[in-house]
Amino acid sequence: MQITETANEGLKRAYLITIPASEIDDRIKAEVKRIAPQVRMPGFRPGKVPANLVRKMHGEQLHAQVVNDTIQSSVDELMKDKGLRPAMQPTVALKDGYDQGKDAEIDVSLEILPEIDTPDVDGIKLERLVVPVDESAIDETLQRIADQNKTFKDAAKTKKAAEGDQVIIDFVGSIDGVEFEGGKAEDAPLVLGSGTFIPGFEDQLTGVKTGDEKVVKVTFPEDYQAEHLAGKDAEFAVTVKAVKTAEDSKIDDEFAKSLGLESADKLRELVKAQMEQETAGLTRTQMKRQLLDALAAGHDFAVPEGMVDAEFEQIWQQLMQEASREEDSEAAVKEIESERDDYRRIAERRVRLGLLLSEIGQANGVQISNQEMSMLMQQAAQQYRPEDRERFMQFIQNEPMAAAQLRAPLYEDKVVDFLFDKAEIEEREVTREELEAAIEAEESTEAEAAKAKKAPAKKAAAKKAPAKKAAAKSDDKADEKPAAKKAPAKKAAASDEKKPAAKKAPAKKAAASDEKKAPAKKPAAKKAPAKKPAAKKD
Amino acid sequence: MAKKQEIDARHYDVILAPHITEKATLASENNAVVFKVANDATKPQIRDAVEALFDVKVTGVNTIVTKGKVKRWRGKPYRRNDMKKAIVTLKDGDSIDVTSGI
Repeated sequence: MQITETANEGLKRAYLITIPASEIDDRIKAEVKRIAPQVRMPGFRPGKVPANLVRKMHGEQLHAQVVNDTIQSSVDELMKDKGLRPAMQPTVALKDGYDQGKDAEIDVSLEILPEIDTPDVDGIKLERLVVPVDESAIDETLQRIADQNKTFKDAAKTKKAAEGDQVIIDFVGSIDGVEFEGGKAEDAPLVLGSGTFIPGFEDQLTGVKTGDEKVVKVTFPEDYQAEHLAGKDAEFAVTVKAVKTAEDSKIDDEFAKSLGLESADKLRELVKAQMEQETAGLTRTQMKRQLLDALAAGHDFAVPEGMVDAEFEQIWQQLMQEASREEDSEAAVKEIESERDDYRRIAERRVRLGLLLSEIGQANGVQISNQEMSMLMQQAAQQYRPEDRERFMQFIQNEPMAAAQLRAPLYEDKVVDFLFDKAEIEEREVTREELEAAIEAEESTEAEAAKAKKAPAKKAAAKKAPAKKAAAKSDDKADEKPAAKKAPAKKAAASDEKKPAAKKAPAKKAAASDEKKAPAKKPAAKKAPAKKPAAKKD
Repeated sequence: MAKKQEIDARHYDVILAPHITEKATLASENNAVVFKVANDATKPQIRDAVEALFDVKVTGVNTIVTKGKVKRWRGKPYRRNDMKKAIVTLKDGDSIDVTSGI
């Protein structure tokens, strides 16, 4: 076997390996000898088939197999000889014009991992920003929950329905005098001003009294979900059965019970825990960022391009997907397109940090136990249908690559935890706004690499998209939230950064307060719509 | 040309297939090859056919008829086909690659 180096540039290496025909032949002979005792052929007792016959019958297969093996082993040998640590699977190609009995020439090109000095993990100073949960914030949240569970009380007969009141109505709807399906209801409760009915319907009911009959004329909006009704004029004959006024609901044990909890205290605790968890996630994100910044600042080395490319591809795809969901997808795509370079930097940073973290982990013996791994697998399997779970588990067990993908985020988190343990941590109490501001501030300080920061925070290193999900689930539940928030935020943030600083400040505040609202609504299970705008403004 | 093809066709009818077994491999040590041949083929026919088809010189032909076994299927006895084998000894230096077929 002969190895010649054909390229050596930065982290890229290319080699030409020549394997003489005699070597391949020897290997084939050995292979024939190995399998001969197992060969069955009619006319011969098992294992008594002469070698030349075996070779004749299975020669082609054996040859292909041997060539493959030889290539693999020679590549391995190459790695060992030269002490290479490949960053990714090397590209191996058999040169054209190879035939049985000829010398095999193999092109191998790969990128190697850069030599990283094991980073100094002691003495990293970090600041933990802790947010005490504000009592008034809890109150506010509770009030909001209460508001959403209002009770209504019959009002006096003469009371005219006003905004915020509830009316109980019967109605029959018709288009051009013909009743249509779904346009009829009895004893339907409707809160005026809630916007649950067609626009205009509720306005016209303002001022009705119990027992009133009224014809309401409305036009269905163009984008009404029932297509045959969209854009049509309709008349509703409405009979008002009762007018009810809203009652202020108090937060007491009774109210808690109506929500299925034992007491008001319990409810309060629950809300508090929820808010704490929320801020704990932010705190961790912030710390992680500090840590990664510290690491990134202390190390600068060349990064394998192939890995960066792969990472970049991933970011790109994600962005494109987000963009396609955007209302004005073309503009969004354009915007992303214009920041291509920035995203490339993000990818590079991710890869670098990923390498760094794994290096630290290896150097310090951070390991993932089998137990943790199986837990991780279980969690990942949850997202499949029950009947597919078994298959998924098997797949993971059989595919080391897939398992590695699962393991990576957990490993990274463990390394981060390890570093947290090592680092000198100062605790500092701050308000939520300050904490958020701190995260934002860090983002803007590193003007160019700003977006990069967000990236590592989300999935600190070169981890694959599916793995990310697992990461969030694994042990970093808190992290999940910021991550989720960040995804849509990323794009918005990109444009944010371009605005003058003055403009940014108020925008951020709005985000902060908005975000406060988002969790507040959560107990009422209505967070989904509330959260999106919050995240976008972020 | 046409005549030769006709002759060839006749030869192909005589020699049915090479008979590849452990025993046949042993025979090859004595420069002999084993063929399955037509049941009604005679030794001279076999010699001519082998010489024509493989372009070798034949020094001797021995034949064996292997009678088909009597088997039963659904209780009804039947007979498997008989088979004639020919052990063809070649002149020193000549050889036939039995596995390559004709």
